[in-house]
Amino acid sequence: MTAIQSLLKPRILVLLRHRLSIKKKVGLSFFAGIGLMIWTIIYYVSYRVLNYFKHIESIGDYLSFKLLSMILLTLFSLLIFSAILTVLSKLFLSKDLGLVNGLPIPSETVFLARWIESTFDSSWMMLLYTFPVFIAYGIVFKAYTLYIIFLFLSLIPLAMIANGFSSMIVMPVVLILPASRIRSIFVFLGLGVFIILYIGFRIMQPERFVNPDGFASVILYLRSISMPSSPLFPSTWVFDALKSSINAKYTDALFHVCLLWSCGLLFVCINTLIARFIYFKGYSKSQTAQSRLITGKNQWLYKVMAKTPGPVRAIFIKEMKTFWRDQTQWTQLFLIGALIVIYLYNFSVLPFEKSPINAVYIENLFSFLNIALASFVLTAIGARFVFPSISHEGMSFWIIQSSPVTIKTYLWIKWLCYFLPLFLLSEILIVLTNILLHVNWFMMILSVVTIAFISPGVVALGIGLGAAYPDFKSENPTQTVTGFGGLMYMFCASAFFGSILLLETYPVYLIFNAHFKRVLLKDIDAVIVIICFFSCLFICLSFLFIPMWFGESRLKRNVQARNTEKFDFHEENMLMLSDSETETRRSILLSRVYKIKSGQASRYPAKNIIEEIQSCH
Amino acid sequence: MIKLIHLSKKYGQHTAIENIHLNVSPGEIFGFIGPNGAGKTTTIQIMAGLLAPSSGNVLLSGISMNSDPVNAKRLVGYIPDRPYIYEKLTGLEYLRFIGDFYQIPFQIFTQKSEQLLKIFSLIDRQHELIESYSHGMKQRLIMISALIHDPPIIIVDEPMVGLDPVAMKLVKKVFKTRSQEGTTIFLSTHTLSLAEQICDRVGIIHKGQLIATGSMDELKSSAKAGTKDLEDIFFQLTLEQNKMDLML
Repeated sequence: MTAIQSLLKPRILVLLRHRLSIKKKVGLSFFAGIGLMIWTIIYYVSYRVLNYFKHIESIGDYLSFKLLSMILLTLFSLLIFSAILTVLSKLFLSKDLGLVNGLPIPSETVFLARWIESTFDSSWMMLLYTFPVFIAYGIVFKAYTLYIIFLFLSLIPLAMIANGFSSMIVMPVVLILPASRIRSIFVFLGLGVFIILYIGFRIMQPERFVNPDGFASVILYLRSISMPSSPLFPSTWVFDALKSSINAKYTDALFHVCLLWSCGLLFVCINTLIARFIYFKGYSKSQTAQSRLITGKNQWLYKVMAKTPGPVRAIFIKEMKTFWRDQTQWTQLFLIGALIVIYLYNFSVLPFEKSPINAVYIENLFSFLNIALASFVLTAIGARFVFPSISHEGMSFWIIQSSPVTIKTYLWIKWLCYFLPLFLLSEILIVLTNILLHVNWFMMILSVVTIAFISPGVVALGIGLGAAYPDFKSENPTQTVTGFGGLMYMFCASAFFGSILLLETYPVYLIFNAHFKRVLLKDIDAVIVIICFFSCLFICLSFLFIPMWFGESRLKRNVQARNTEKFDFHEENMLMLSDSETETRRSILLSRVYKIKSGQASRYPAKNIIEEIQSCH
Repeated sequence: MIKLIHLSKKYGQHTAIENIHLNVSPGEIFGFIGPNGAGKTTTIQIMAGLLAPSSGNVLLSGISMNSDPVNAKRLVGYIPDRPYIYEKLTGLEYLRFIGDFYQIPFQIFTQKSEQLLKIFSLIDRQHELIESYSHGMKQRLIMISALIHDPPIIIVDEPMVGLDPVAMKLVKKVFKTRSQEGTTIFLSTHTLSLAEQICDRVGIIHKGQLIATGSMDELKSSAKAGTKDLEDIFFQLTLEQNKMDLML
């Protein structure tokens, strides 16, 4: 037990001794505020939905508890999925495992300490954000305070069971397949399932649920599937415990809580036994390199880019290759793909024919608003790919620093690498949606040109702010977008395309009016149109060059600061001399040099030191 | 070939290096030795253009690293102490990446890379991802990348870290050969025997200050009687310096 405590201590001490600067405290408070806001929204929506259900006669309670059962089953599945990934990382892939496994402690102790950590890591966020849903249940069904206690007592063993079950699967599988590959497979599968669910949900057209006729049929359908949940699932035990405690049947609730805890502890015991025999073997196996999936013999990219300047070719090919070989990066394309499919699908099902307003007018209005939507999609994609691209250099950034290109050139090459694909993507998006909206030529040209001017600025913001706020030490640079720099990027990019659209609104209105009334623009209106479009051009150019300049200057400063951190490590070896001390040191050195020169001492030949001291005077 | 002119670097209140003034001639192998935290890596990073000095300048073949860093860096092959490289590229792709920065024509690149990959025993692994390389293999790959454009100046920070005895012997041989061909080599090291074996001249840096420079013979002749090797000289000088610090 003491060994487990010792193994967990570094993690706890890091949390306790973590000193935050005021800037970090502000950032943390901000994100805590956002978290609290999301928590409140979840609670509010759950409360409203449950209240709504409660007022449906005869089936209201049934629907609420059916929903609770579905939520718990989903939560349990997600906990298992999250636990598999966390267990793989914590037990087999963490960098500090080499040190921990070298300690004179049994492997099951290492396993238990890591297992406790992974149970916490894999479940805290999911439990935190489902908690308001359960609170809403308690409030809507007017449960007593004991409900909260039963809630805690049942959710903790649920997380233990999910993690125990995952470790029991992972430990033997690692003996057959390399741990890193299992993680890739699960990440890939998880992503696939999410995308299918996401697209499936949208194609179901959930908006029909607000239609009273449609809603009635949904309720009948739900009632028809009165399939009982399996009594073997731990989620069912949690469901029974919560339902019993809501109905104040505490003995029943206690029985199910005991069932959950005994199952959870049984998993701990079985896993400890398994760990004693196979954990270390699995760990040892996961340290060997996986078989080669990629070889770099394909030269077509070099041939295609043969005529481009060397540094552009070098960085472009490097970015392409690292992107397609890094599963944390390229798998995000599936998410982007799903986002675009839904985006286009939404436009194809817009019910313009039912609108009381003229269809031509509303289609063109939507087209104008669509520029904002497309810009937002561009910004979101930029946040995933462009903003972290500088941080992706990681500790290898010295290569760029020592190579014969300036930071400015490097950033502009990076900009070019990301501008081309994002520009093409946003143009394709805007043209396709405009075709679906049957817009006129003016709107088509306006959208295409506006996006053509907005996209360089959005990419420049991504590169510039990514360079200004890099994290070269991050193990997952994609996450840098959740920091202050990412927030700045999202804010600036939204302000940028928002201002462009705001400036275009009035000229577009004037031009449309003139078009529908079949008259020419008045002189003053023409002047306004020109001024607005030139202002847009000016803003676009400013957002292209200012972020790049800002990123360059901040990156140069950051590089020096990065080395300062490294320097602090040797602080105790460093001299901190006042001017008088420096002067004394020089005089001692000088007197010694004179001694050497006059033959009184044979130490210190060092002609450079003589030079140095002379130059100091 | 290399001139450090009154080079100083301060990090806030801390002085990492102070007024370092040094000349290294063409074809010379200059060893930069000193204890941990003495300022070796800082000096080397300034020379390689990774850091800007607080004052002073670095001239490489007369080109200032302060005012014309791009052209100064063209002359340098830099080998850092820790082999952080793009793990998702293959060995050959990484060399091509570096080659493109130095605008090496494709045919010359192919010939050079093959030759160096053979010398450093990486030819069989050239098409594998760097992430599957060992520490020593990564270090050897970085050495190849530093040599591929035939730089007139090589700057090396701790060249032997992570290398096996065969690779160490090879590196010494490569440095010696390059030096005989006119390449200037500036290397920092903890391994005093290495400095003794291959360096024409040695500089000892302690607490950010250059406390002695000279050839091995010069250093030995000026040290106390009975001083046998560089290790003795190193300890004498750094100890002396520590005493001086205590006096202050």
